[in-house]
Amino acid sequence: MTATTLTHDEVHHHDTPRGWRRWLFSTNHKDIGTLYLFFALTMLFLGGASAMLIRMELFQPGIQLLEPDLYNNLVTNHALLMIFGAVMPAAAGLANWMIPMMIGAPDMALPRMNNLSFWILPAAASMLILSFVVPFFPGGGTQINTGWTLYPPLSIQVGMSMDFLIFAIHLLGISSVLASINIIVTLLNMRAPGMTLMKMPIFCWSWLVTAFLLILVVPVLAGGVTMLLFDRHFGTSFFDAAGGGDPVLFQHLFWFFGHPEVYILLLPSIGVLSHVIPAFSRKPLFGYHSMVGAMLAVATIGMVVWAHHQYTIGMSLGAVTYFMIGTILISIPVGLMIFNFIATMWRGSMTFETPMLFAVAIILMFTFGGLSGVMLAVVPADMQYQDSMFVVAHFHYVLMPGAVFGLFAGVFYWLPKWTGHMYDERLGKLFFWINVIGFNITFFPQHFLGLAGMPRRIVDYNVMFTEFNVVSSIGAMIFGLSHLLFLYIIIKTIRGGKQARNRAWEGAKGLEWELDSPPAFHTWTVAPQIR
Amino acid sequence: MSLPEHQTPELRRKNLRLAWWLGALALFFLVTSFPFWNGLFKIVGNQAAP
Repeated sequence: MTATTLTHDEVHHHDTPRGWRRWLFSTNHKDIGTLYLFFALTMLFLGGASAMLIRMELFQPGIQLLEPDLYNNLVTNHALLMIFGAVMPAAAGLANWMIPMMIGAPDMALPRMNNLSFWILPAAASMLILSFVVPFFPGGGTQINTGWTLYPPLSIQVGMSMDFLIFAIHLLGISSVLASINIIVTLLNMRAPGMTLMKMPIFCWSWLVTAFLLILVVPVLAGGVTMLLFDRHFGTSFFDAAGGGDPVLFQHLFWFFGHPEVYILLLPSIGVLSHVIPAFSRKPLFGYHSMVGAMLAVATIGMVVWAHHQYTIGMSLGAVTYFMIGTILISIPVGLMIFNFIATMWRGSMTFETPMLFAVAIILMFTFGGLSGVMLAVVPADMQYQDSMFVVAHFHYVLMPGAVFGLFAGVFYWLPKWTGHMYDERLGKLFFWINVIGFNITFFPQHFLGLAGMPRRIVDYNVMFTEFNVVSSIGAMIFGLSHLLFLYIIIKTIRGGKQARNRAWEGAKGLEWELDSPPAFHTWTVAPQIR
Repeated sequence: MSLPEHQTPELRRKNLRLAWWLGALALFFLVTSFPFWNGLFKIVGNQAAP
């Protein structure tokens, strides 16, 4: 793929809006991308702080810092802040910044809606944080102790904070659906002439699949929590056994969203890796077509295996067998992606800058998380692991490397393009090592805790679990505090540093690298021709 | 360059049309979520082991 018309600088910097209006009324994809990324960073620190409080509490058996209800509230908030506040907006930030530049479009297809999609988020985050704060006030009711799954009947019995949470989920869902519509329309209608779908960068493909997944599953969650709201306040009995309903129905609704959500978080990072690994291996991506096929397969199969989260509810033998086999089948396209990455690196001229270090770590650690996922997919084994710390270890090994490390890789990879400055490579590598070592010290011991029988979402534990919990908590402090270094690197790079070339990385390919570093406020005002 | 300048009227119409279709798809999934899942739930429930 080659761009033959590269006229991107006709629009000069002088028409860049100034002051707060630039951000509040922005319809520029780069500015909105920046807003998403800073919002996600803020939520990462809030969610991280709650995680560190959880680990401080679990440092020793007994109750040290947190009352049980507050502990459960923190567990709930940690998950929701990280998933809806940090990871999804960060991926949307990358999408906003990169998709138009990658496909040779001047902006997103629906710029005003892009602004709305972002500015719903702070309102949603406020509702989410209020759901945490409200119980501390007189008449605020009980704290949310359901975990992020919000299972009834507990979620029907919780105080008014649950209503704040339900509305927060509604707002977050509206924001996600609007952003997804915008991304799909941009990718289908705004590509540069000559860029067929099968010439589209893999990051764009990953977002096309993700956006469709969001449109299909988020409304089901919205339907589920709306029914929950009706059960709470309007006398319905969708999930109330006393009125003829069934709480297990909510589990189906929730996990029909919840399981594809894992792939919603994962796929954009797979897209990032598909650029980072070829760039630092100095080879084209191995198996472009199979990569696209694998993403479509993951999304399709991922949508029909939701009930593997519910083996213990008493499904029929036929149902559990179907969900078990379907779940294990996902390892085929996921394995294909991993092998494609390894084949891309094979005999490449590899160098290990920070984005590539994260990419290699993802391949190793995400595969590890995938393997414990296969263990959990097996019904009789899952009966033992259900609701244990093993599950916590598993999904953190999937989501931290699979989603968050991928986003870190993307930020370090494109930061020179965004800011016009190279980040401090020495600090980047230092951050990587502290982060990855801290992560493994935190979550690896939790496998043993789970296998030994320690339940999750419990504030206190038996003394026999003390040693591994001490190690895990020390790791969590290292891991959590390492993100301050990430913040420092970002600020330092924005403020200055070595000037980045337009093609910041020797092996980087794609339209975005034809643009200036940093790119002009408006880019690709004349579409490039793709051969 | 102000907001809609980068799109011809034809492209803008095309974008909006696709956006409305996608919005309708999302709405469809929202309003059918209950009857669909309730029905499926009953089918699976009826097969449940005693």
